[in-house]
Amino acid sequence: MNRLVQEAVLVGLARRLAERGSWAGETHLQKSAYLLSELRGVDFDFDFILYKHGPFSFELRDELASMRAEGLMESHAPSPRYGPRLQVTARGKEVEESFSKTMRRFGGSLDWITTTLGDRGVMDLERLATAMWMTRQSPSSSVRARAEALVQVKPHISMEDAEEAVEEIDQLLAESKAATA
Amino acid sequence: MAKRLHEVRDAVHVFVSFDDDERRVIDSPAFQRLRHIHQLALTYEVYPGASHKRFEHSLGVMHLAGRVYDVITRADKISDPVRETIPVPNQSDYGYWRTVVRMAALCHDMGHLPFSHAAEDELLPAGVNHERITWDIVHGEAMKEIFEDITPSPKPEHVGKLAVGPRKAERMGLNVSFSDWEAILAEVIVGDAFGVDRMDYLLRDSIHAGVQYGRFDHERLINTLRVIPEPRREEKETDEATTPPVLGCERGGLHSAEQLLLARYFMFSQVYQHPTRLAYNEHLKDFLKAWLPDGLFPSDVDGHLSRDDADVLAAIKSAAADPDQPGHAPAQRIVTRNHFKKAYEKKADPEDHDDLRGDRSGDVRTLAEAASEHFGADKVAYGAPPTNKPPDDFAVREGASRGSVWAKGLSEVMRKLPQSPDEFVLADSEIRDEVSRWLEQHRARLLTEARNQQIQQAEEEVA
Repeated sequence: MNRLVQEAVLVGLARRLAERGSWAGETHLQKSAYLLSELRGVDFDFDFILYKHGPFSFELRDELASMRAEGLMESHAPSPRYGPRLQVTARGKEVEESFSKTMRRFGGSLDWITTTLGDRGVMDLERLATAMWMTRQSPSSSVRARAEALVQVKPHISMEDAEEAVEEIDQLLAESKAATA
Repeated sequence: MAKRLHEVRDAVHVFVSFDDDERRVIDSPAFQRLRHIHQLALTYEVYPGASHKRFEHSLGVMHLAGRVYDVITRADKISDPVRETIPVPNQSDYGYWRTVVRMAALCHDMGHLPFSHAAEDELLPAGVNHERITWDIVHGEAMKEIFEDITPSPKPEHVGKLAVGPRKAERMGLNVSFSDWEAILAEVIVGDAFGVDRMDYLLRDSIHAGVQYGRFDHERLINTLRVIPEPRREEKETDEATTPPVLGCERGGLHSAEQLLLARYFMFSQVYQHPTRLAYNEHLKDFLKAWLPDGLFPSDVDGHLSRDDADVLAAIKSAAADPDQPGHAPAQRIVTRNHFKKAYEKKADPEDHDDLRGDRSGDVRTLAEAASEHFGADKVAYGAPPTNKPPDDFAVREGASRGSVWAKGLSEVMRKLPQSPDEFVLADSEIRDEVSRWLEQHRARLLTEARNQQIQQAEEEVA
């Protein structure tokens, strides 16, 4: 994906997340971008690895830092106790508006993912994104097997929560398949 | 039988100690080659003292990695929420991970090309970087043989993961995952905030370049490093027990950490992004592309180990003297010090991104390309360091009862740390002033046209 298009899509994602009640910190963007690429085939130019909070991309982290440096987003920390929120600036909104074709192409997917995830907290997002990762690793494995793999890498997640997350991913995959068919 | 301890004197750490097992790695051809790889490429053409090598830096990184490991595994310094993650002395895996972390620190730079970072992306086959070569060396037969003889025997995969870190593992497409403990140990070596690689190179480069700004109180910083729960990422996240342990520092170490960030800022401004240094990088890259077969260094382990700075310097000397040899022009620029000079510097205007007062990402390259087309490709170049990203936030422990917080929330220094100009248009010294004037005169038009064209192209690709 062209870098400018990618920036416009990320601005669109951050703005929609915030509008739908998300804290919209870096973790929220990381997990939403990952799930957007896996569930809706949005072809970001980022590689993800399984890291501290599940799937994570250092390239995406660098891109977000670069977008802050360019004035497309601002970081606001309401307290040192919590991670900062990423807010889209006026210039960021202008960029989104200037890429009208991009937004026509990806707007539906952005609306869908942010409606689905906008009110979810980081723990939920970590569970879901890791469940997605395990599903990609072993697509034909049972819910139980994928949940066990999830718990193995994230031992603080209970088996019950892991199974629920894998089931939700299966449901989202089915919804996504139906929507794009 | 007890291992013997060896010591060498060191310009930064006074003495660096290592045992018989580590000595086997140090004596290996892959490590000895680092004696002939300049840490800062041709920076010694600008700062004459900066002719130190990756060899002593790697020893320094091993020394600091061992020190940090000993600090973060001290039983009395481990807080309850992270106790299960960390091995402590007398536990079976404590010695294993200490060996792995020191070995990874020793090996972390083995894949560097001659003259270190200079234009690595353009001088290796697509998809290969120096970390990939490091990974291959660590997994090669020679190192495997050494590792298998060591007790406890470090697994190449563990050494490799800590030596390259998760960021580069992702870029290399290694498809490896990092446990919380492995992520912490990789952070100890190559981390952005407290990585000992960074600590050692700032201190060492500062001493050798004679630039005092790179100094900071690393002893205090290391003594306050802790494995602590990551601070919460949002208000909803309430339970510290579910946040992963990370490498952070005690509140008392925050000023030393700030000092490190300032040291980094000054070293980037004064040394790493010095336009003349970047000009030498360009001349060196041009020479190497002309001199190397197909313009590329070998990326297999044997081919890689057969090349060092001595080969390149001999070739530069030879090419500079003979107009018929490939790379004669850039070689002559290096040898006669007829290097390019700064004609344009990135305009930073953090207060206003909406018009053309500040340069955005890609603008300086656009200007360099336009000037190169106008004045000739052999007279103008684009100069930028390989990496200069803003510092990541990190965790600070305010005490057992008060939990962890984010450093940026506490530190005005971190929030306001400026970015130094890191992109330049470089030009032949004879036309440098003319290039400067031309760029100032045409900048607005060139950038407006380029920005509009980029948006149009991007949108067409989407459509």
